[in-house]
Amino acid sequence: MFNRILIANRGEIALRVIRACRELGVETVAIFSEADRGAPYLELADEAICVGPARAADSYLRIDRVISAAEIGNVQAIHPGYGFLSENSHFAEVCRSCDIGFIGPTPEAMERVGDKNSARALAREAGVPTVPGSDGLVASEQDAVRVARDVGYPVLLKATAGGGGKGMRVAANELALASAWQQASAEAQAAFGNPGIYIERYVERPRHVEIQILGDKHGTILHLWERDCSTQRRHQKLIEESPSPRLPAETRRKMCEAAVRLAKAAGYYSAGTVEFIVDQQDNFYFIEVNARIQVEHPVSEMVTGIDLVKAQIRVAAGEKLGLTQDDIVARGHAIECRINAEDPAHNFRPCPGRIERIIAPGGFGVRFDSHATAGYTVPPHYDSLVGKLIVHQPTRQEAIRTMIRALKELRIEGIKTTVPLHLEVLANTAFHEAQVDTTFVERMLAG
Amino acid sequence: MSASEKSGDLFAVKKLRRLIALMKKHDLSEIDIKEADHHVRIKRGGEFVATTAAPGAHAAPRPAAADPVRQPAADAGMLVIKSPMVGTFYKASGPDSSPFVKVGDRIGPEKTVCIVEAMKVFNEIPAGVSGQVVAILVENGAPVEFGQPLIKVDPGA
Repeated sequence: MFNRILIANRGEIALRVIRACRELGVETVAIFSEADRGAPYLELADEAICVGPARAADSYLRIDRVISAAEIGNVQAIHPGYGFLSENSHFAEVCRSCDIGFIGPTPEAMERVGDKNSARALAREAGVPTVPGSDGLVASEQDAVRVARDVGYPVLLKATAGGGGKGMRVAANELALASAWQQASAEAQAAFGNPGIYIERYVERPRHVEIQILGDKHGTILHLWERDCSTQRRHQKLIEESPSPRLPAETRRKMCEAAVRLAKAAGYYSAGTVEFIVDQQDNFYFIEVNARIQVEHPVSEMVTGIDLVKAQIRVAAGEKLGLTQDDIVARGHAIECRINAEDPAHNFRPCPGRIERIIAPGGFGVRFDSHATAGYTVPPHYDSLVGKLIVHQPTRQEAIRTMIRALKELRIEGIKTTVPLHLEVLANTAFHEAQVDTTFVERMLAG
Repeated sequence: MSASEKSGDLFAVKKLRRLIALMKKHDLSEIDIKEADHHVRIKRGGEFVATTAAPGAHAAPRPAAADPVRQPAADAGMLVIKSPMVGTFYKASGPDSSPFVKVGDRIGPEKTVCIVEAMKVFNEIPAGVSGQVVAILVENGAPVEFGQPLIKVDPGA
């Protein structure tokens, strides 16, 4: 096991990793930008090193400074969290050349699954269904027209280097395709530095269902069942749950097996997520792989009883998972609400600012993962996630009730948060009856 | 127990911890160490730990196990050259070379004042300011973080 690791991240996920390390007896080195100086969670690390000014590009994304911090901090490995450098294969490669363990997949596996287009090709090879679409990148507008005719409208143009729900355009028909193509390529170039576009058939009212996978360096790859993340707004997840309600058992089984097949084909180990969309006929299609621990990992932790972050650290240290697929049993129902510093009354505009008072809910089956404390100022430079509220109960109905109770108990004063939106969703009949797809929240908000 | 160096004086607490551990190991009751502009005096069993990073600065902290070291208040008008990177501080270009600057030296903005080594690259750090060197705030070979004060300069001198 490592003596000491560096956490190349901030906020709630940094705290999450610090907690896992403290339980494993591993010392921690935290990094922080000047905007995060003085954040209370840093006190839980054994050392904290400033790596730059507020802007992420000048601090958390500075590979040279992160590696220097790892060197002066005397660590054996780095946990990249999610976002930032977590899916940067160059960073993983630099760690390897500096003989610093990277707590995640190999750079090669990361690249195989990270490029959306190559991941699709890998999926096809592994017999994993993909959304009907282009065979690789679409080189020109004429090609786009040809592919779209084959695939059938409406189509979705996607940036191969995109992620986090960004870099996508829908074209409902051939007339709309030309401008969609031009805009999508330009956006892709501007946002991701890579203009590559591929095309998929646009699945109407899909459900977003993802499979948590976990592998070790000794050839074992397992799944930890699924999470349903259909409750999204503008492609940003708001609420996640497990199991996916109304998913037929056979579909669930096939999806989990497909995810493991894909991971094996990619030579993947550590934690990762294979994302699918499920159409109204319960057909499932591979979308992409997230080669990192995800925000919503606690949902899977609650239903399976497995600490995913500790597992990642153990795997990176060379330990065997020591589990078979039969050991992974899902029990009960878990729901997570992402509490963001955004104002639902004003189009979700971000509300950075000082939290005057915070009271965390508790009770049976309630978990609140948050780095925020009273007096903590949410900085404007990073994502707006203040905390994650997770509940676990024997049934979905009880989980919804507990989540409502816990949301009402949660007090965050001084900033606006998305709590009112969560309460609105949880009170909604369609949500209760699990008639939710990825368009649900926007339709609900539109009234 | 935990030690987030909120003030940025990363090195001091680590050093104090090591000194205290050594004292325990050898059952010493008091040590008094001076080196360049640093002066540490620790009494075991008592409550008093004094450390001064530069002449004129006031003593601050309680035993290192409790709170982080309080940064000595900057004298009015003094400038501080801060580290632009994360790495290891060296006062000279080699172990046998003379230091780039000493207390009392007059320097200009182009003057190399120290090296911060990061990932095996030895980066020469220019002063960026003019004045007289008042204090070297970091020990040779000590780790430094981004923004850490390295050298205090009196611009009026």
